[in-house]
Formats: sequence, structure tokens, C-alpha cells
Amino acid sequence: MKIVVCIKQVPGSNRVKFDPITHNLVREGLAGRMNPFDENAIEAAVRLREQVGGEVILLSMGPDATKETLHDGLAMGADAAYLLSARAFAGSDTLATGYILAQAIRQIGGVDLTLFGRQAVDADTGQVGPIVATELDLPQATFASKIQPLAAGRLAVERDLGAVTQTVQLTLPAVVTVRAEANRPRYESPIAIQQSLHKPLTTWTDQDLTLDASRIGQAGSPTVVRKVFAPTPPTRAAKPLPEDPKAAAKALLDILQAQGLL
Amino acid sequence: MISKEGLWIVAEFEGTRIAPVTLQLLTKARAIAGSRPVAAVLMETPEADGEETLAQYGPDEIIVLQAEGFKDASDRALAAQLTQLIQAHQPNAVLFGATPAGRSLAPRVQDQLATGLTADCLDFYYEENELVQVKPSYGDNVMCEIVCPDRRPQMASVRPNTFAAQKAQGAARIERVPVSLTPDDSCVVQHTALKIAATTSLSGARKIIALGRGANKDAVVAGARQLAEKLGASVGVSRPLTDRPDFTAEQQIGQSGVTVSPDLILNLGVSGAVQYQVGMSGSKLVISANRDPKAPIMAQSDYTWTGDAGALVAALQELL
Ligand SMILES: Cc1cc2nc3c(=O)[nH]c(=O)nc-3n(C[C@H](O)[C@H](O)[C@H](O)COP(=O)(O)OP(=O)(O)OC[C@H]3O[C@@H](n4cnc5c(N)ncnc54)[C@H](O)[C@@H]3O)c2cc1C
Ligand SMILES: Cc1cc2nc3c(=O)[nH]c(=O)nc-3n(C[C@H](O)[C@H](O)[C@H](O)COP(=O)(O)OP(=O)(O)OC[C@H]3O[C@@H](n4cnc5c(N)ncnc54)[C@H](O)[C@@H]3O)c2cc1C
Repeated sequence: MKIVVCIKQVPGSNRVKFDPITHNLVREGLAGRMNPFDENAIEAAVRLREQVGGEVILLSMGPDATKETLHDGLAMGADAAYLLSARAFAGSDTLATGYILAQAIRQIGGVDLTLFGRQAVDADTGQVGPIVATELDLPQATFASKIQPLAAGRLAVERDLGAVTQTVQLTLPAVVTVRAEANRPRYESPIAIQQSLHKPLTTWTDQDLTLDASRIGQAGSPTVVRKVFAPTPPTRAAKPLPEDPKAAAKALLDILQAQGLL
Repeated sequence: MISKEGLWIVAEFEGTRIAPVTLQLLTKARAIAGSRPVAAVLMETPEADGEETLAQYGPDEIIVLQAEGFKDASDRALAAQLTQLIQAHQPNAVLFGATPAGRSLAPRVQDQLATGLTADCLDFYYEENELVQVKPSYGDNVMCEIVCPDRRPQMASVRPNTFAAQKAQGAARIERVPVSLTPDDSCVVQHTALKIAATTSLSGARKIIALGRGANKDAVVAGARQLAEKLGASVGVSRPLTDRPDFTAEQQIGQSGVTVSPDLILNLGVSGAVQYQVGMSGSKLVISANRDPKAPIMAQSDYTWTGDAGALVAALQELL
């Protein structure tokens, strides 16, 4: 089975700063790391390869520093990696990102299964997986908590949809987005890290892919982040109840009584 | 006739009933729509009657698509229907619940329409004809305003339990649209199981006792459970308490848990981290007990008590 895993490098911490004028993320001093859900996606891919054979290819769009994250993924057991990096990709929203990733998957060719994390922990949209599936006109199973290979190019996928769990049978090629519940990602052993340095990592720019220039970067991105601000939860009266626990309990119940809550 | 330039809500079922988020969105949409018609889009099986519930929440139009195939339809099949409908009637904006189902369907429609989609909004309003969408990012540490200036429709998914649903007067016009649904053999549902409705019961609870790390003692937890039973409340927790064997992530309030908007929430030993607060800031009456009078939760509360959570629980038990 030829499996592509899309991975995103996200800020090392969610305590981020924004440039108040450009609204861009201030990345300085913030080491990136792999989006945690993408570790589950890689783990799922490596386990599938262990069960049915094949290869696991990582794909990430981002700045040059994303290579570190790709090396981490190779050390987790992937066989090869592609970095998509170009100025022309900057400012891509989910629509443009999904389009670029889909074009790269077409170019890799012969892909049976494309895996995504359930969502990236920075922008928190979870939209890129379904967009790529639509671009490639593939079926999808989102929020997967279990992936089981079946005979004849099929997968059984258990989806955790909050109120219900659902098992679907997918015919490959297909797209799956993976929840944290699916597995526990393995640790990178020193040997695996050593080996990862010798695995192929290819960089493609916009020149290496077949792309419609109006669909990438800012031009291809319908959404505009027009303002970024710190959330200010509305403050309330914070009236203190009496100090003594018994008196406080009495006062509390009186309030509930008065508001019809008892 | 289905109006053009409408504000559309894509209705979702939860089991056999309309999902609460759909009704919450209808109420909010009516409040901000101005002169735009508000329409609910309903994709259901012929034996379902979602329109009856939807009509009670005051949409101007209910666009009904009925087909046997909507039972267990794949995201791809649903997206194809919705895309066609949107292309035919050109709504100004289309909103989805940010549920797993909504978040799976919306981006497929977005891609086919080549428009913008904002994920998991906590607020939205019109400025002229532009829908300003307010959404959190970076684990709710940052809020941003997102707009989609050049393309239509404007699309967003909206976090459940962010707005209250309110019934409304008005006669909704039912518009039935013929459907031809081709089954999608590449994605076949084999089995669906309803989970224990813990999530639903917490997210829909009218009263909640919420326990944080400062209430993480077996005796306090047991006392709080008893209190909850007497008050008819549900018990929720902050994230650290999900490590206990007697709580799961389904009881967790907050950004990576459940959003709640009860009439009453009593916070015991919760500090009030931003990821917790976003999950409960819609509560009507907030009462918090904490050993530390400067804990952030205190400024978020209508009433506060400074002291040991266990002592307050014990005193309340005596009185009830
Ligand atoms: C504060 C902020 C808010 C934003 N809000 C929105 C919004 O509401 N709507 C919108 O359209 N755009 C939004 N964006 C832009 C969005 O972050 C980018 O388009 C981003 O490239 C992909 O979206 P995501 O992080 O939401 O990924 P998700 O869709 O959450 O990621 C899901 C999965 O897709 C894969 N993936 C995502 N990005 C990449 C990548 N670069 N390379 C390889 N695989 C990847 C990974 O497997 C990941 O687990 C926002 C950006 C910022 C800074
Ligand atoms: C991406 C992300 C997502 C997250 N999502 C969530 C989420 O969904 N929900 C969530 O809850 N958290 C979430 N968190 C974690 C969150 O940041 C906080 O760490 C967490 O909410 C703290 O829980 P707490 O208030 O119970 O514990 P603490 O912050 O440790 O606070 C304990 C409080 O109890 C008080 N206390 C101690 N002893 C007593 C006593 N005997 N009597 C009374 N008071 C006492 C202390 O003064 C303190 O205020 C998330 C974090 C991240 C980074």
C-alpha cells in the first residue's frame, strides 16, 4: 500500500505572539514541532505498512525549517519525505493549502491512501484533509479512531463522531483523518534517528508542480485574517459570599432559591 | 421560490432529532440577518420530519431535500447535493455546526465552490454585506476576525452551545427540492452505535457542578456527586480531573472538551484557565469557590467564595 501522510509543523507552544500590524505570527524564538495529531497519522501509516507492506511517504508544505519535522517523521518509520517550499505558497489558507497538497499527491502518483491529522493545533480548522479528498475526488473517513486493512483494497475505519461511533468500509484510494485515540505514537530510537538521516528528502518548489497560479498563496486564498486579538472574557460582579462555610452555603442556597434554581 | 442572498443554516440530525446546534444557529441567524431571508437546509429520509422542529425556531424558509439515500450518505454524496443547491440559489452565507459531521461536510462544499470557510466560530455578525467571523486559534489563546471579501457564499462552522436557541413565531415557507442521489459505493457505513449520552447530557445540562484540581479528593468528589443529585445537576470537570478513573474526557468542560451554557455552574477548585473559561463563559449564573481569591475564575463569577472546596461541599450537604 502506498501511503502519503501530510504533516504540518506548528509552533512549539500555543503561547504565541502576533505582529499587530501585519497580523502575522511572530515566529522568532519559537522552535517548531510536528502537529501532535500528525504523529498519530504517521503511526497509523507505519502500522498499516507493517501489516500489508508498501511504503510511507511524508508530505509537508512549509518553510525550510520544516525539514526538521520531516526528519522526526522519518525517524518514526516513514520511508521518504517531500517538502513543498516556495515564496509563492506563503499566505495560503486551507483552500490553497489543500490544492497544493493535492497537486503534489498527484505528482507522487499511485497513492492508495492519504492520511491527515484530525486538525492542526494552531489554526484548529481540520479542513485540509477533506479539501484534499475533494480535489482528488476521493472518499473520506474523518475523525478515525481505528483503521483496519481488509482484503481487496479496502479499509474498515471506525469514526468517533462525538455522540456516535460509526464503522465505514472505504474503497481505496481514499483519505482518512486520524484522531489521537487511534494509537500511541512510537518513540524515535537513536538507531531510527540515525537511519532517518539517510532516507530521501526531496524539496519541490512551485516550479516542480503543475499549479494554477491563481489558486496558490494569497491569490488563491479567499479568507482574510483581518484582526488578531487576545480573548477578553467578560468579567462579572464577583460578589463575595460570607467567609464562614455554613453561612456561605446558606447564602448560596438563598441565591439559587431566589433565581428559581432549587 | 427559494430566495437568493439568503443566510442558510445546514441542519444536522442527532439520532432522530434535530441537533441542538442547528436550533442555536437559527436563533442567532435571525438576530443578525437584517433583511436577509434565513433558511434552514434539511437533508433527510422520507420518513423523517425535521421541518416540524425547525419551523418552531422561526426560519423564513425551510429547504427540504428528501431521499432514502440520506440515511448514512457519505460526505462526498452530501457535499455534491449541497453544492448543487448553493450554486442554484446563491445564498449570501452558509453556516454549519462545528460538529464532527459539520466539519467533515463543510470543507468539501467549500472546495467545490472555491470559497472561504472559517472553522469553529464563536461569533459572527454582518458589516454591510460582509460576514465577520470571530474564531479562536492556538488552543483558544488567540481570537481572530476572518472575512471573505471577494467570494460567495461566505461559509463558517460554528461551535455548538455558543448561542442559546429560542423558539420564535412566524410561518416558515417549506420549499421541497427534488433529489437524485447516487449511492457512493466507496464509503459504506456498516455500523453505527450511539455512545452513552454523557456528552449530550453535560452540554445540555441546566445545572452543573464543576470540579477542578482543588477538588480532587475522593471525599470531595463523592460529596459533590451527592449535591449534584439533590440539585438535579450534572458533574463536569476541568482537564486535570480526567486523569481520575471516575471521569473521562466526555465530562471535561473547555476548549478541548465540551462547551456548556447552563443556568447555573458551581466551580469548585477550578483556577479558570482560558481553555476552561471558553467552555463555560455562556453560563447564566456563575458561582465559584477557590482557596485563592486571586484565581482568574473569580473575576468570571457572579458570586465567589474564598476557602476550602471540601468545606463548602460539606456545609451545603448539611443544608440540603
Ligand atoms: C490564526 C489563524 C486562523 C486561521 N483560520 C483559518 C480559517 O478559519 N479558515 C481557513 O481557510 N484558513 C485559516 N487559516 C489559515 C490556515 O492555518 C492555513 O491554511 C494552514 O496552512 C492549514 O490549515 P490548518 O492549520 O487549519 O490545518 P488543518 O486543516 O487543521 O490540518 C489538518 C491536517 O492537514 C494536514 N496539513 C495541514 N497543513 C499542512 C501543511 N502545510 N503541509 C502538510 N500537511 C498539512 C495535517 O495532516 C493536519 O493534521 C488561519 C490561520 C491563522 C494563522
Ligand atoms: C491546547 C490546550 C487545551 C486545553 N483544553 C482544556 C479544556 O478543555 N479544559 C480544561 O479544563 N483545561 C484545558 N486545558 C488546560 C488548562 O490550561 C488548565 O491547565 C486547566 O484548566 C487547569 O485545571 P484546574 O483549574 O482544575 O487546575 P489548576 O490550574 O491547578 O487550579 C486549581 C485551583 O484550585 C484551587 N485550589 C487548590 N486547593 C483548593 C482547595 N482545597 N479548595 C479550593 N480551591 C483549591 C487553586 O487555588 C487553583 O486555583 C488546555 C490546555 C491547552 C494547552
